[in-house]
Amino acid sequence: MRRLSLVMMLATAPLAGQSAALHLDRVESMERSWVRGDRAQALAWARAVTGAWERADRGANWSAADLIVAGRAWRMLGSDDPGAVRQALAAFDAATARDTTAVEGRLWAADLLLERYNAPDANAEYRAVLQRDSVNARAWLGLARAAAFEGRDDAATLAERSVAADSSFAPAQLLLAQVRLEAEQYDSARVSAERGISLDGEREDGWGTLAAVAWLSDDHDAFLAAEQRARELNPRPAGFYVTLADAAARHRRYADAVRFADQARTLDSLNARAWGILGINQLRVGKMEQGRASLERAFARDPFHVWHKNTLDLLDQLADFRTVETERFQIVAPARDAEFLGTILGPLLEEAYDSLAARYDYHPPTPVRLELYSRHADFSVRTIGLTGMGALGVSFGTVLAMDAPAARQPGSWNIGSTAWHELAHTFTLGLSAHRVPRWVSEGLSVVEERRARPGWGAHASVAFVTSLHKGELLPIERLNEGFTRPSGPGQLSLAYYQASLVAEMLERDFGIEAIRVLLRSYAEGMADDAALLHATGLTTDSLNARFEGWLRQRFAAPLAALADDEQALFGSTLREAGAALDGGNVALAVELFREARDRFPEFGDANGPNGGLALALLAAGDTVGALAALKTVTHQDETAGAANVMEAAVHAARADTVAALAALARAAWIMPEDVNIRGHRAELSAAIGDHLGAVAERRALAALARTDPLSARTDLAEALLAADDPAEARRQLLDVLEAAPRYERAQALLLEARARLNGGGKP
Amino acid sequence: MNNSLNLLAAIVLISTTPPVLTAQGGIHLLVVSGLSGEESFASTFETTAGTLIDVARDRWKLPEGSVIWLGERCVDAPPTVSAIATRETIASAFDTLAARSQPGDVVMVVLVGHGSGEGEGTRLSIAGPDPVVADYQRWLAGLFGRTVVFVNTASASGDVLPILSGPDRVVITSTRSATERNATIFAQHFVHGIASDEADANKDGTLTLLEAYDYARRAVDEAYTSAGRLLTEHAQLDDNGDREGTADVTLPLARDGQLAARLVLGTQSAPTDPRVTALLAQRRDLESAVEALRLRRDAMSAADYADEMERLLVAIAEHTRDIRALEQAGGGKP
Repeated sequence: MRRLSLVMMLATAPLAGQSAALHLDRVESMERSWVRGDRAQALAWARAVTGAWERADRGANWSAADLIVAGRAWRMLGSDDPGAVRQALAAFDAATARDTTAVEGRLWAADLLLERYNAPDANAEYRAVLQRDSVNARAWLGLARAAAFEGRDDAATLAERSVAADSSFAPAQLLLAQVRLEAEQYDSARVSAERGISLDGEREDGWGTLAAVAWLSDDHDAFLAAEQRARELNPRPAGFYVTLADAAARHRRYADAVRFADQARTLDSLNARAWGILGINQLRVGKMEQGRASLERAFARDPFHVWHKNTLDLLDQLADFRTVETERFQIVAPARDAEFLGTILGPLLEEAYDSLAARYDYHPPTPVRLELYSRHADFSVRTIGLTGMGALGVSFGTVLAMDAPAARQPGSWNIGSTAWHELAHTFTLGLSAHRVPRWVSEGLSVVEERRARPGWGAHASVAFVTSLHKGELLPIERLNEGFTRPSGPGQLSLAYYQASLVAEMLERDFGIEAIRVLLRSYAEGMADDAALLHATGLTTDSLNARFEGWLRQRFAAPLAALADDEQALFGSTLREAGAALDGGNVALAVELFREARDRFPEFGDANGPNGGLALALLAAGDTVGALAALKTVTHQDETAGAANVMEAAVHAARADTVAALAALARAAWIMPEDVNIRGHRAELSAAIGDHLGAVAERRALAALARTDPLSARTDLAEALLAADDPAEARRQLLDVLEAAPRYERAQALLLEARARLNGGGKP
Repeated sequence: MNNSLNLLAAIVLISTTPPVLTAQGGIHLLVVSGLSGEESFASTFETTAGTLIDVARDRWKLPEGSVIWLGERCVDAPPTVSAIATRETIASAFDTLAARSQPGDVVMVVLVGHGSGEGEGTRLSIAGPDPVVADYQRWLAGLFGRTVVFVNTASASGDVLPILSGPDRVVITSTRSATERNATIFAQHFVHGIASDEADANKDGTLTLLEAYDYARRAVDEAYTSAGRLLTEHAQLDDNGDREGTADVTLPLARDGQLAARLVLGTQSAPTDPRVTALLAQRRDLESAVEALRLRRDAMSAADYADEMERLLVAIAEHTRDIRALEQAGGGKP
């Protein structure tokens, strides 16, 4: 009865002149009802308020406070009606215009913009508020949420500013907890979550965050307690499970994210966020059809959500992709690229699977699905729902995604090492039940790259030894921050290399079995330090000391050089050496390049001393010396395409065809669509009798030959004949000749193939 | 028999079946490469134009007077530029070709360089005043009775097509409108396809203008796609005189392409040995049988189709082998 009278009052009387405090109480009460799923009452109230607003000429004479109430009512209606969201924004903007000294309207407008995924405009509003009120906790919180939404690394700092502005502001404490949870800082996340709950114990996301901390820490009792509390507050706590699902996904536990999101949408079938998280993570575990259906449900409820929109658009594109299957892999790529990518990556992935299965004594379930995207933006959408992600590849477990060659500048990355890296994650994630910390998983993936082929994976850099020299490397117990909260792209690169060195040291000192034990320990729920202790018998402090000592020994030369000159490892020597080479003073160039190289002998960047030294020595006619320098580059820099081609040319000139082939093989992973490299490899392979090698390259060339496929397939048939496979040659030639019956070269080869099949020689 | 009589013209008009008709006369080529603006373009333009000139002289065996290259600058190494490209030298070249050619001949004009303008004002940048479309229209009028192939590979060349379209003319532009102003790559692929024979799509040893155009169009598309770039040049061809270009001339019911399909780029020779003539006729019958078999594919089992196709293809291959054997024994080609 009371509810009816309030609704009637609001429906029949303008808000102006009534107590703003009364409305504030009411709107907060209704919003809580809404969150708890009691939507009928909240919607009735919201419709009454917005009806009054409309009858009052869009609140033409209402106070700013009443306009904000109207905006909040429209916001509630906006869950079903995109048009209502615009009305809400108009009401908030009107409130701001009504009272230009108050910030409340701007804050609500900003929150609404952010809720609808417009972070740039929301940021502008929050900053406008802070210009008036520099200690506004809500504004700082808004900036922090926007930063978290945009994946920026300053979310925690901004949340801390909000807490500093108002330590009793529960939402800020809870966001801080979530940011710390994402950084896998479980203890501090728990503290913040508990603080938030102590300030406002009625928030489902508060209990959800606390439960997520407990769940990720394997604290079963604490999880159940939080879950029970959430259910006491709301018998259908969808928001609680949405928070859990989100946390699970952010910790790469995609199957669990599906489970929690499924619980959430069961409790509240209108919860767009639940459907969205469910759909995105179903796609990550390879349930493509279910994922699409869930996302369509989410999109129907929330058409503003750009992640869902982008992902649905991407799924439309995927319908035109082709799948190439090998024994244990599904390689999914745009139809134009699928055959070629299947041809080059299929054998590599099969080799990688066998190698990694032996290393980790573990066989992930198959098929493993690898999706390749010709537009980096599409890969980015597949990974994070948005464009702009910098990574080359991602592993969701048994679903991998990465760039195809067309997505990136040729020569700027290595497609082979990237695929190997992502597949290594499949093993480390699987063996650890998706609980391996990011630093361990990344470190091992880089180690596996380095083991796979010479040159692959991250190698020592000037930035790394400089950080080592300055004592700026993160200790092992904080190494995860280099991935989850890097201070910039530079620190992320350092973290990859450093993590790989820690992994390398662990295997060197304790064996591969220790790595397996480590991963299984995570699966059993051990935290990082406990797992390391279990696997190695050493505390993290001891491992830090051991690591530091090993690094100082390993990088003694560059560290000594840096001790002499803090400013730059190579000083001006490289520049002077380059000038000498350009000026024709080869002897001086060689001398200076050698001097620079000796400061950091293993530094293999193509633009470093060894690259320059190779050029100078070639100019001096010293091919042996040049080869040594080139090898340092090609064996340390996985994107040194030109250096590999140069090395191949030098080997070929010295009649060392095997070495030339190896260099060209490295170059082909860097410039996979370069037909000259593959053509050269095919010819050299045939020349030394490696006919299967020649066939592999001819097969890749045939898949690449989009303007003259018949010639390329005839080349393949010729290679097949040389490899004593007349049956496959005949099949290829019949296809070619069906399209071009007069093709004389193919005709002659067909007659030869048939003669060979009939036991004869050339016809 | 006089061998020279058996050597067909470098570009001959042929019918689709049978494939070769005797040329009515000679072939003449004018290549104009315009201002480059920077060294990288200069190199590209010269290489492209020079390669086409080389092909015309060395492979098509065109007489010296029928090949004219007007360029941005004199090139020391052969092939040499006949003169600097100016409005006057181009006009003079057209006069020369008009005087030298006969009705029934083929005159091929290829423009390479940077284009600009729109509509009637479309132009290729050369030294001095640039000729506009009306100039080319006037100069081409002097070639009445000849089959004209006009290939404008410059940027912003698209508007030329409806203006120069006409009977007995093939007009190719590298862009579909004047708004596609970025530097184009059509010319490189067009010439590469011709020079390398990669454009010979059906691998029958004869390259038609249609094949060269289609190869270049696909190669351009491929180059942009591989580089992850938006396609900013859309080539088109008109050869039915309706002033409307067609991009993909391979599509069923494409309005253009019939004349271009009959223009063969390269030399053809006729057999002198009646045994070779007979084998060629039998081979054509087998090729027709392949065509017929393709049409019956849906009515056959896959195995029967494959068996019959292999039988025919092997028979064709054996005929070719026998033809070549006779030729090598001295009874075949002149």
